[in-house]
Amino acid sequence: MTSPLLDVRDLTVTINRDAGMVTALDKVSFHVNPGEVLGIVGESGAGKSITGAAIIDLLVPPLKRTGGTITLAGERLDTLSPKAMRAVRGGKIGFIFQDPMTSLNPVITIGRQLCDTIEAHLKIGGDRAKKKALEWIERVGLPNPDVQFKRYPHQLSGGMRQRIVIALALCANPALVIADEPTTALDVSVQAHILQLMRDLHRESRTSMMLITHDLGVIAKMADRVAVLYAGRVAEISLVGELFNAPKHPYTRGLIRATPMPSPDGNVRLDQIPGAMPGLGKTPPGCAFNPRCFKAEGDCCVTIPPLTARESAAFSCFHPLEKEVA
Amino acid sequence: MSAQDFLTLTGVSKVYRRGQSLLERLKKTDAGGTKAVSDVSLMIRHGETVGLVGESGCGKSTLARLVSGLMAPTSGEIVFRKDKTGRTPRLQMIFQDPYSSLNGRWTIEDIIAEPIKVHKLRKGRAAIRARVDELLVQVGLSPADAEKYPQEFSGGQRQRICIARALAGEPEFLILDEPTSALDVSVQAQILNLLRDLQKNLHLTSLFITHNLSVVRIMADRIGVMYLGELVEEAPSEELFRRPRHPYTRLLIDAAPDMDTDDRSLHPIAGELPNPAFPPSGCRFHTRCPFAKDVCRSTAPPQKMTDAGGLYRCHFDLDLSNTSTVPALAKMKTA
Repeated sequence: MTSPLLDVRDLTVTINRDAGMVTALDKVSFHVNPGEVLGIVGESGAGKSITGAAIIDLLVPPLKRTGGTITLAGERLDTLSPKAMRAVRGGKIGFIFQDPMTSLNPVITIGRQLCDTIEAHLKIGGDRAKKKALEWIERVGLPNPDVQFKRYPHQLSGGMRQRIVIALALCANPALVIADEPTTALDVSVQAHILQLMRDLHRESRTSMMLITHDLGVIAKMADRVAVLYAGRVAEISLVGELFNAPKHPYTRGLIRATPMPSPDGNVRLDQIPGAMPGLGKTPPGCAFNPRCFKAEGDCCVTIPPLTARESAAFSCFHPLEKEVA
Repeated sequence: MSAQDFLTLTGVSKVYRRGQSLLERLKKTDAGGTKAVSDVSLMIRHGETVGLVGESGCGKSTLARLVSGLMAPTSGEIVFRKDKTGRTPRLQMIFQDPYSSLNGRWTIEDIIAEPIKVHKLRKGRAAIRARVDELLVQVGLSPADAEKYPQEFSGGQRQRICIARALAGEPEFLILDEPTSALDVSVQAQILNLLRDLQKNLHLTSLFITHNLSVVRIMADRIGVMYLGELVEEAPSEELFRRPRHPYTRLLIDAAPDMDTDDRSLHPIAGELPNPAFPPSGCRFHTRCPFAKDVCRSTAPPQKMTDAGGLYRCHFDLDLSNTSTVPALAKMKTA
């Protein structure tokens, strides 16, 4: 077995409020193998985006990382100085944000923004950086790179902007790309384009990717392995096929069944999960999912189930679902 | 208008005019503008839910505003069936964002009681309060919630409050504009199930607007697909999914990723949405259509009827019942 590229162990993030500490991420552990796409799903408030931001130390106070280790290719990221971390961000780890309008600087041409990133991380300058920037504009599928180079973000459509954000994330040849809801702000037809582009670029470069999304359809098409987060904890990590066909954690199955998605025979079923995700600091004792879970028993309300590994999967549940006989 | 018809739209258009310069005003030239909704004809029968789908900028929300009377159409007419006393049916709207559509300084009781007071549906404080409690229970909340403020509720609960407020006006017609887009999947399922139950029990006629095809498939009896302000296809739900007639419908169905992990192919639609202010000539979809021929570029397609009672705007009679009939688009570059 190869050693993982990114290894996150017991990552804990807390919010310091006047009333005391509130845990936003509770001992989250996962790893990303070289060349792999790890999908991270969950509903809003599950801690997906915090996980992504914590890895590259972009947490905004009052959020604070208070525990756990983050290792990228053998190097500890959590103990790096802010200056060394700045070289990692955009260099070893590229980041694709959700909203392409706010993640680009509106008063600088996209060519300049690309050149800046290339110059800062690849240590090349002038014409070579420009040549590389033009190459990237073409690689992400924008016509007439020379014209696009001089344009400002507001002159581009949402899909084109997101292509530029992808180019910015990848132009310094990072080892890992963290994509946080890369297609959520886009229309379906554009979304498919961006996903296709990400897939093509991923195949060419074999960069590892962490794909954070709430859309199970995107996960099913893009991810190799999937981590399901619930209320700041990992509920289940599994290979993508296994996750959809034989989920172990009741929440995973609930999430899949609640997604309106027609089955091949045309029937549409919609099973709801009762209740809602607990708010920050309101996590019930024991398993965070126990008030909504149909399999919950006495032990679920007392002890937090540990993440147990079984074959290629891992889940945190005392009463995992058995594989259904179809 | 037959007895069954509830609402009829005939050739409805809405043009958003841009500001005119002084010179243009003096010369009295036509400034032009964005045709957000263009010549849409649609009929909604009593007790039916009609879904409208399309991407952003296709005019679906504009159409909702026209139907609700919040805006007047530039041309065409929107006619509701009047009852025996000559009264038009009452109408209520449910909006996308449950955070901005509730007044944070009002209690839930104030919010839900307002339509009751405005329409004078109950007399006396006790009767109004009893009705509010009844509505809260109906949408799955408890009467004790009436004293609280919107901030104390989660997104899903707020949307329930919005639904209760809409029902408080005892509407015969409901317009739902992306009612679940701001919600999480598990909560969305709760709200959709609630809406489905309410529609069945209260015999509501409704217009359901969304960008999510799977959601509209669950909710609607008939579905209209809009593209750049035009209604390109309209058919009974299952018919639309089983045998779409317009290439855009087919491509839109395929573009949304499903949960099949064995077939991981993606189906992007070639090109990007043109600027709605300058729609392409002829068929508006020809710039992205894999079947486009010369005739599509020059002539706007006629409106055709199907046997199943649907209609579509396309020059050709295409069999689009399978995904595989659409030629590969991967080679077409983004414009």
